[in-house]
Amino acid sequence: MNIFQKFYLTFLVIFLASCSSVSTDRTNDATAISASATGAYSDGGITSNNVLYFAYDRSDINSAGRAKIRNLAKMIKDNDLSVRVEGHCDERGTREYNLALGEQRAKTVAELLIINGVSSSKISTVSYGEEKPAASGSNENSWSKNRRALVKTF
Amino acid sequence: MNFKKLFLITYLIIFFPSVSSQLRIEIKGGIEESISIAVVPMQWNLEIPQEIFIHEVVKSDLESFGEFNVLPPRNMLSLPTTKEEVFYQDWRLLGSDYLVIGNIESTEIDQEIRVSYTIFDVVKERVIHRGSVLGPLSTLRKMGHKISDKIYARIQGIPGIFSTKIAYIDKPSKSDPNYNLMISDIDGKNSLSLFSSPQPLMSPSWSPDMKSISYVSFEEGTSRIFIQKLSNAERRGLKLEKGINSSPNWAPDGKKISAVLSKSGNPDIFIYDLELSTWLQVTNHFGIDTEPDWSPNSRNILFTSNRSGSPQLYEVNTRTKRIKRLTFEGTYNARGRYLPNGKGIIFVHRQNGVFHIATQNLRTGKIRILTDTRLDESPTVSPNGNVVLYATKDGDKDILAGITLDGKTKFVMPSLKGEAREPSWSPLID
Repeated sequence: MNIFQKFYLTFLVIFLASCSSVSTDRTNDATAISASATGAYSDGGITSNNVLYFAYDRSDINSAGRAKIRNLAKMIKDNDLSVRVEGHCDERGTREYNLALGEQRAKTVAELLIINGVSSSKISTVSYGEEKPAASGSNENSWSKNRRALVKTF
Repeated sequence: MNFKKLFLITYLIIFFPSVSSQLRIEIKGGIEESISIAVVPMQWNLEIPQEIFIHEVVKSDLESFGEFNVLPPRNMLSLPTTKEEVFYQDWRLLGSDYLVIGNIESTEIDQEIRVSYTIFDVVKERVIHRGSVLGPLSTLRKMGHKISDKIYARIQGIPGIFSTKIAYIDKPSKSDPNYNLMISDIDGKNSLSLFSSPQPLMSPSWSPDMKSISYVSFEEGTSRIFIQKLSNAERRGLKLEKGINSSPNWAPDGKKISAVLSKSGNPDIFIYDLELSTWLQVTNHFGIDTEPDWSPNSRNILFTSNRSGSPQLYEVNTRTKRIKRLTFEGTYNARGRYLPNGKGIIFVHRQNGVFHIATQNLRTGKIRILTDTRLDESPTVSPNGNVVLYATKDGDKDILAGITLDGKTKFVMPSLKGEAREPSWSPLID
């Protein structure tokens, strides 16, 4: 052991000797209280008339989907219905980012309904992101079912 | 310090019995250097029988993240409860670097107890701390966590986190059709549902005083941000705007909340003033801006944006509104959180189509991938900066898992009630 090491150790012992401490803490029995949603939104009375599916990380609609929306728009106008378009995502990617992606999907469908003559005042959109999957399971089969927009009429 | 060569096999999986811990810990790495400590069963001087044993609570706490190796009482040569009964040589023989003894007694106040304890440095043969914890008998476990915090702080030199809490979301299960906003101790014990709803709940975040939690609820048929007080379950909805209302996160001063609104047509970052109940727009871009987090010095907000074509992390100065891109590696970097020291960020990073948790040093820009599982998200860091908790998958099941930032210790949270996601670590409150 060289002189420096000795000096260092002596210093350390003195330093540590000065740091013995005393403390008094207090705990309390404060507990948290529970609550639950009352009169929460439910889909009662709303039917899901059609589902449109999307590619991974995309919000555009293919020609088959566009045909579906045309028929849907006609049915909505003929029966003077209101619609709620829900956008959904698969579980990949972060939850809040998926909330934004789900909104883009819902809005794409809403815009196509408007192009096909549905009044914008009859349409509302909501994104659930990845929070309400149609199929559970971490595989492409489930994911493809979850990347969707639901057109609900009432 | 006596570095013991404790773990000679590459992977050692320890399943603690439910009595001592609910964490399932896997210590990774070749030879682990952990600190040896003996925590002697404390003398119980009360008339009633003992149900919770402080030394077991402390053992379970200190072993949580693999930093300590706690000597079991059956291997002890004596069970001292006073300083006079401590023979350092015995503990040195057993390889213990530190020793904790104590006793539990009633006070003059009904139902109140005092736990007095002493921490010894066995190698230097001296007392390094004497402390006591006072509280109602019903809080014995909490008192144990306080003692663990003190031991941790004295030996490691940074605050212990055993008295902190985590919040998370439990998704509907066969036994409960509702989404639940849960809080629990960090070992998964004392779990409680703060709010229950048949519609999705998201994004829990603690207020800096640990008295309230903000979160997103779809109970009104659309996303809305709520603040709920823990003490009385009083709820307050933030002013609802058209479109997405999401991603609440408290400012360090507790007076403002950063969040995401899409009222302008696309998601942007906003700040909500809790006193004035008004929204102030911070970012304005036609792409997606989301997932804000305040910097510890409250000058900047970290957020995810796809303005460059793929999700990347950016920082906006809340005063000048100047924006700086932080991540450049890879095509998916999102849901960032500042590390408590403000010197780095932790986020979700996609590599070869797989989502991992990664950190980035803000000075060097260097990225380090921490996890090797597949669908990792929602990282949250312990307030002492040592441990990250995140959501991942166990098969098809949503679970919470953790890893120390040095990458040495990994652990999995127990399957709490159902399937857990979106963990949020509470601040450190005295």
